[in-house]
Amino acid sequence: MRKKWWGFIILTLSFALMLGACSGGNNSAMPPTTNSGENANTPTESGETSPESDTEATEGFIEAADMSLNPLAAANRTDTVIIGTTDPKGVFNPLFMETSYDYYINYAIFDSFIEVQADGTYTNSLAEKVDISEDGLKYTYHLKPGVTFSDGTPMTVKDYYFTLKLYMDASYDGQSDPLSWHIVGANEYNEGKSSEISGVKIIDDHTVEISLTEYTALTPVELGNMYVLPEHYYGKEYKQGNLDGVKKLNNKPLGSGQYKLVSYSPGQEVVLESNESYFRGTPNVKNVIFRTTSETTSMPMLQQGETDMQDGMSVTEDNVEALKAMGFVDISLLPNNGYGYIAFNHKLPKFSDVKVRQALVYGLNRKEIVQGVYGPYGNVINIPQSNVSWAYTDENIEPYEFDLEKAGQLLDEAGWTLNSKGLREKDGEVFKINFSATADNPVVDALLPIMTQNYKELGIEIVAETLDFNAVMDKSNTGEYEMYFAAWGLTPDPDNTVYITNGSQNDYGYSNPKVDELMDKGKKTLDIEERKAIYKEMYQELNKDVPVILMYQRKNMVAVNGRLDGFDISPYKDFPFSLYQVKIAQ
Amino acid sequence: MATEVTTMTRQTVSSATVSESPWRIAIRRFSRNKLALGGLIILIIMFLICFIGPFFSPYNLYDYSLVSKNKPPSAAHWLGTDKLGRDILLRVMLAGRISLLVGVVATAITVIIGGTLGAIAGFYRKQVDSVIMRITDIFMSLPSLPILIILGAVMSDLKVPPPTRIYYLMFIIGLLSWTSLARLVRGQILTLREQEFMLATEALGLKDRRKIFRHLLPNTVPIIIVAATLSVASAILYESSLSFLGLGVIPPTPSWGNLIADANNLIDFRKRPWLWIPPGVCILVTTVAINLIGDGLRDALDPKMKR
Amino acid sequence: MRTYIIRRLLQMIPTLIGISIIVYAISAMIPGDYITALNNPNMTDERAEQLRAIYGLDQPQYLRYFTWAKSMLTGDMGDSFQHKKPVMEVVNEYIWNSFIIAFASLILSWIIAIFAGVFSAKFQYSLFDKLITLFVFICMSLPSFFLGLLLIRIFALSFGWLPVGGMTTAGTKAVGWEYIMDVLKHGVLPITVLTMLSTGSLTRYFRTSMLEVIRQDYIRTARAKGLKERTVIFKHALRNAMIPAITLLGFELPALFGGAIITEKIFVWPGIGHVYLNAINMRDYPFMLGFTILLAVLTLIGNLLADVLYGLADPRIRLK
Repeated sequence: MRKKWWGFIILTLSFALMLGACSGGNNSAMPPTTNSGENANTPTESGETSPESDTEATEGFIEAADMSLNPLAAANRTDTVIIGTTDPKGVFNPLFMETSYDYYINYAIFDSFIEVQADGTYTNSLAEKVDISEDGLKYTYHLKPGVTFSDGTPMTVKDYYFTLKLYMDASYDGQSDPLSWHIVGANEYNEGKSSEISGVKIIDDHTVEISLTEYTALTPVELGNMYVLPEHYYGKEYKQGNLDGVKKLNNKPLGSGQYKLVSYSPGQEVVLESNESYFRGTPNVKNVIFRTTSETTSMPMLQQGETDMQDGMSVTEDNVEALKAMGFVDISLLPNNGYGYIAFNHKLPKFSDVKVRQALVYGLNRKEIVQGVYGPYGNVINIPQSNVSWAYTDENIEPYEFDLEKAGQLLDEAGWTLNSKGLREKDGEVFKINFSATADNPVVDALLPIMTQNYKELGIEIVAETLDFNAVMDKSNTGEYEMYFAAWGLTPDPDNTVYITNGSQNDYGYSNPKVDELMDKGKKTLDIEERKAIYKEMYQELNKDVPVILMYQRKNMVAVNGRLDGFDISPYKDFPFSLYQVKIAQ
Repeated sequence: MATEVTTMTRQTVSSATVSESPWRIAIRRFSRNKLALGGLIILIIMFLICFIGPFFSPYNLYDYSLVSKNKPPSAAHWLGTDKLGRDILLRVMLAGRISLLVGVVATAITVIIGGTLGAIAGFYRKQVDSVIMRITDIFMSLPSLPILIILGAVMSDLKVPPPTRIYYLMFIIGLLSWTSLARLVRGQILTLREQEFMLATEALGLKDRRKIFRHLLPNTVPIIIVAATLSVASAILYESSLSFLGLGVIPPTPSWGNLIADANNLIDFRKRPWLWIPPGVCILVTTVAINLIGDGLRDALDPKMKR
Repeated sequence: MRTYIIRRLLQMIPTLIGISIIVYAISAMIPGDYITALNNPNMTDERAEQLRAIYGLDQPQYLRYFTWAKSMLTGDMGDSFQHKKPVMEVVNEYIWNSFIIAFASLILSWIIAIFAGVFSAKFQYSLFDKLITLFVFICMSLPSFFLGLLLIRIFALSFGWLPVGGMTTAGTKAVGWEYIMDVLKHGVLPITVLTMLSTGSLTRYFRTSMLEVIRQDYIRTARAKGLKERTVIFKHALRNAMIPAITLLGFELPALFGGAIITEKIFVWPGIGHVYLNAINMRDYPFMLGFTILLAVLTLIGNLLADVLYGLADPRIRLK
């Protein structure tokens, strides 16, 4: 029978899902949000947290060994850099972008008052100065003089105000939640009761003042890291309550950033050209092309010199070895800002006992699973935070080393004793866990056999199923599950709703008053040292209480042709931010 | 053009009047066909190895050993080990249980539904044809991927035991792939029923069922056999793609398609051929064996073949 | 014949309505929606509700069906959630790229399959026949990504003759003939893979049909009349062996536009296949539904064309 088109469709899921394997089959990226101003932080590329590796560096920077191996195709390209990525969706507007790959293009085309630094904190970009009032409810931004959009029109704070209006519009359907920024008068604008936002005061062309009703630790970023769109360009098409005209310009963006868009061929490439009126000076490299690559072709394209750089190459021992063997590639291995975990349904009596949860962590050989999947490029974690975050702590954190005996003991204490068949039993109920895993996840391949074996020795039966990613998420939202495996991204700021009672992202039914209290306090505190102490206590509590089985944090890899210098990349700072500094070595 | 077509005389009514039943003749002929018998024997051996072989293996499904991962074939592991240090030979045999069943069951369903509906539509034409063909159209237009995702979710909600879900899947694969065969068979029958030998069956006053199953369908056997052979291989590969929807086998249980798909990068492709050659060869051998059997069947069922 | 075609076209209306209801029901039953698919860790429940309201996902299903069906009737498929622009625009951006390779491979595979099938049948059980058969089965036993990897390995990496992937050279400003040559160079490998995949099964079908026809009396008669062997085979036999081919040709129509996801993905060919796959994964309903219906229409037309062609190929067939 002829293979039909839909036959192929299904066959390819492998490829499609593989790309998003850990974030779970989708490409959403998180807008960076973190506390600003402070510079207390850890360096990110020092390799200070080295896991179970023996000789080789498993984190940090590996420099190209022999540039003479560089293929001619790349070496001869003197004014152009070609970057391999997954294809963007063509949403070249910071308001509506959803995938990381659209973010990349927008980072290069647009600018904001403040921008992220390698350590995850923020520094002034378009802003000359940011003043925050004592009570934290008034922000004054001073725009640098002489900033122009790439068409030569000078930028004023009116453009900023205009962009704010677009965000507050009722028809805004992007990823941000602008009404939660608590700007005075935003709701009235949103509901159409007013044609201006009363909390925004334009003092002069370079000064704007924003008044808030409430603040959180995230406010400086929400207001300051908003990309500024030119009113004279986007404003023509905009009427309050209808953003369709603005969306029509998604493929013809105009900003003030390092680069401007020359052409976009869907699924193929995005061609950018340096912006000569960029406020930091014309970028060194004239042309930058973002070229679509796939998991299978990224490596050969780099090898043949068809690309100069590959973003998001999966970190396996094979890939690292192959890249090293090429000789002309610089490799950056950075901790991925996210983690994998196994969720419990806390509404089930068997999981509401903390001893049972602890036993299930002790009784699982997490190290072996992580090693089996990521080799030296992933490590077991015990708090839900990246080891390079300023909020990270390992003080008084129980590592939960694999210990079947201890696990058995804890289960005994919890009343789950072994019956005659060697199974755990309590009040006539046999300990059996229905486990849902996302299909086509490399971790699940290693997790299921190891977990089944480990828990069998404890006397617990695992009944595993694999499901489409969205089906698992659906179960998670509706609470129709016992245990599932998933992975997700971390925001740069430790504030989130994952472990707070009835939190938006808390699908586990987990509730711990102490955690709630500390999270609330952390969100309302602006001083970073105070916040550190608060989150340390919070993570210690989570570590003891085991809301989920934390599994691993893995590495990300960026491979760059050695002829390029000047990228400033970190887990918090994506490569496009430093494009303007990049130089091609001759 | 018309001249050639009218000279076309196919099967005669002879088969309806000879003493020995055509099916018995077919069996006799088949058992004399060495190639076909060879194919059958290969297939039986494949089944035996896959279903009995694992009992003789020193390893079991849940074994893993990270120290001996990605090792080439050796005395301990005849076909080498995979990325978790699991024995490839055992995995290929276990995979065969699933893949052989999927291939055979899905194909059988395809052939039964597609052949029957196609024959009925082609024979009765008019409204019957219209109705059946419109149903076929609808089935062909359905997006299988979302349907399969729903099926996975429904089976999970109904708490169907995960290891048995693969059996439902075999049926679904069959249910989603009979349409093209139905159209092929119908097309053949539309031409066949206009030929002289059908006039003869008319004259003999044979029942419709007899006309369809004894005279028309046997003439479409060649095309059905081609379709069936091709469908075995594609169902085996199709299953592997469904695992990505969580619908196929659940790890660590392997299938041939999954074993190959696991090695889908240039590095494994070049450096570790033992990962993909064994399952690839198994699919190839199965396909060839089924094809040999199919060719034998066709010859056995063809009344004009004199042996 | 004309009344037949008109009747069939009229029948398409209820069929399409049926398909639209079923397809819509499927999309409604599929777990999760666009908001859950985004899996955004910053998304609050309130914002998720707002977004669902903006996208109309909070309406009852039957109402959403009618809204959707009404705009479909006016030719408006709505805006893709992911691409933030009209579905037709997105389809138009990608579908022709898929068409190029699908069409090229259609032509190639039919030509090759006809010749291979005919000779394989003519010289049944010869070495040529056996080699062809083995080759066909090898192509079928390996998934398409393997064929793709193999070709990349040989032609792009070892010999360096062809580019690894993409449809044009990065940043090319070529126009006209130069541009066509550039696309062609990039297209060779994906077209080869698609051709290898489809030629196999076509060859099997043609070989079988030819075998059947060659054994017929009228072929013997034609030979006895002293006609040239070439005339006998290509004129008399082949024409009658084409009935199954007509059915298969009807299936090609949706296949031409449906995109070949794996092959396109491996060679980074910007086709519609993986856009559709993404739409399903992300629960981008407008795109998913719109494109499914588009393919359904093509399927119906393809099958209608096949039925009409039967009548032309064999006038005795009375399709009423």
